[in-house]
Amino acid sequence: MLRLVKAESFKLSKKLKSWLGPLLIMVLVLIAFPLSIDISQFDLAKFYFSIIVVSLLMTSFVATEGMFEEDFEDGSLEQEFLIEKDFYKLVLSKIFVYVCLIGIPIAFIGALFSFANGVAIGSFASVFLLLSLSNLLLFNLFAFGNALSINKGAMLGVLSSLPLALPIIILLGTAVRSIQFGDGFVAIITLMTGIGLLMSAIMPLIISAALKTHID
Amino acid sequence: MKLLSAQNITYSINENKLFHNLSFNINSGEGLHIKGGNGSGKSTLLRIILGITSPSKGFVETHAQDLNISYLGHKNAIKNYLTPLENLELLFNDAELKIAFEWLRKFGLFDLQDELTASLSYGQQKKLALIRVLARSSDLIILDEPLVGLDQATADQLTSFLIEKLSEGVSLILTSHINPMIDCRVLDIGANDA
Repeated sequence: MLRLVKAESFKLSKKLKSWLGPLLIMVLVLIAFPLSIDISQFDLAKFYFSIIVVSLLMTSFVATEGMFEEDFEDGSLEQEFLIEKDFYKLVLSKIFVYVCLIGIPIAFIGALFSFANGVAIGSFASVFLLLSLSNLLLFNLFAFGNALSINKGAMLGVLSSLPLALPIIILLGTAVRSIQFGDGFVAIITLMTGIGLLMSAIMPLIISAALKTHID
Repeated sequence: MKLLSAQNITYSINENKLFHNLSFNINSGEGLHIKGGNGSGKSTLLRIILGITSPSKGFVETHAQDLNISYLGHKNAIKNYLTPLENLELLFNDAELKIAFEWLRKFGLFDLQDELTASLSYGQQKKLALIRVLARSSDLIILDEPLVGLDQATADQLTSFLIEKLSEGVSLILTSHINPMIDCRVLDIGANDA
C-alpha cells in the first residue's frame, strides 16, 4: 500500500497539468464567477454557496479526468493486476493521493476565498474541513465515473456520474448555510465524515470491478 | 515441478472461436513458444494464462503458491513524462535497481537515463520496458512478441538472457512470429483450430 501511495504521489507530482490545472481553475472560478453575475459585495455571502459548489464540481471534474486512463492505455493496470490480483489498493491509493495533493489544496483555496465572499474569518477551519470532506466525496464519485468509461474518454463517465453528486451538493449546501447562519454544523460534518469513510471503503471495490471489466 | 496447467481453454469472440480446447502444462525451467498467425489469439492466450482475460471455456490452474510472474505485453507500461531512471525507480527496490542499471548500460540507455522517456525511440522504449522483466527475479517470464522493434544485438542479448534463465529453472512462455532461437516446446494455435 505504501509502495502504491509513494508511486502515485510521485507520478502525480510530475504531472504539472494534472494537479496545477484544478487549483488554477478553482482560483479562476472563485474570482470570475462573482464578477460575471454582477452581484454587490453585500450579496456575496448569499451567493457563496453557489460559487463554492460550481468551483468544487468543476475542479473535481478536471482533477479526476485522467485518473485511470493513462494507466489503462500504457498497460500499467495490467502490470498492477499481476501483482495485487485486483485494483482495490491501487484505487484507494490514487484517491488518497488525489485528495491530499489536489483536494486539500483546493479546500484551502476555497476557505481562503470565503473571506472575500463575505464569510466570517473565524469560520476558516469549518469551511476548510467542509470543503476537504466534500472533495473526498466528489473525488470518490468521479473516480467511479472515470473508471466506468475509461476506454471511451473518461469525461463521459464523469458526466454520467454527475447526478450522483446531487446528495453531496445538498449536504454541502446545508453545511455552508449552517456555517453562515446558524448551528448544526457538527452534526452535518459528522454525517459527511461517516459517508466519506464509507464511500472510501466501498467505492474502490466498485471501481476495481469496473477496471477489471475494462482490461478483460 | 509443474508450475501451471491450462485445461480445455476455448476463447470465442461473437461465436467466432479464436482457439478451441487448448490444454498444456508448464513445468519449472521449461519454455513454451506460442506460435500462430496474426489474429490467431496468441496475445489473448497469454492474457488468459495471466488471469487478465477470462476464457470462454476451460481454466488455468497454478500449482505453485505465490507464483512470481514477470510479463511484458504489447503495452510497455512505462510513463512517457518520466525519465528512464524515474521509471525504474518506480518499479524496483535498491537491489533490483542495481541490476536494472547494468541492463541500462548493456542496452546503451545509461547516458539517456535522465532524458524524458517520450524523447526515446520506439526501440529504446521497448528496451526500457524489457528491463522490467530482466531486472526482476521471477518463477515465470511471459513475453508477447519480445523481439519486435529490437535491433539484432539487443535481440541476441535478450535471447542469451532467456536461455540462461531457463537453465536456472525459470519457466518461459513467449509468443513470436519468428523462431526465437530458444530451445522450447512449440504450441501452434494457428494449427490448433484446424
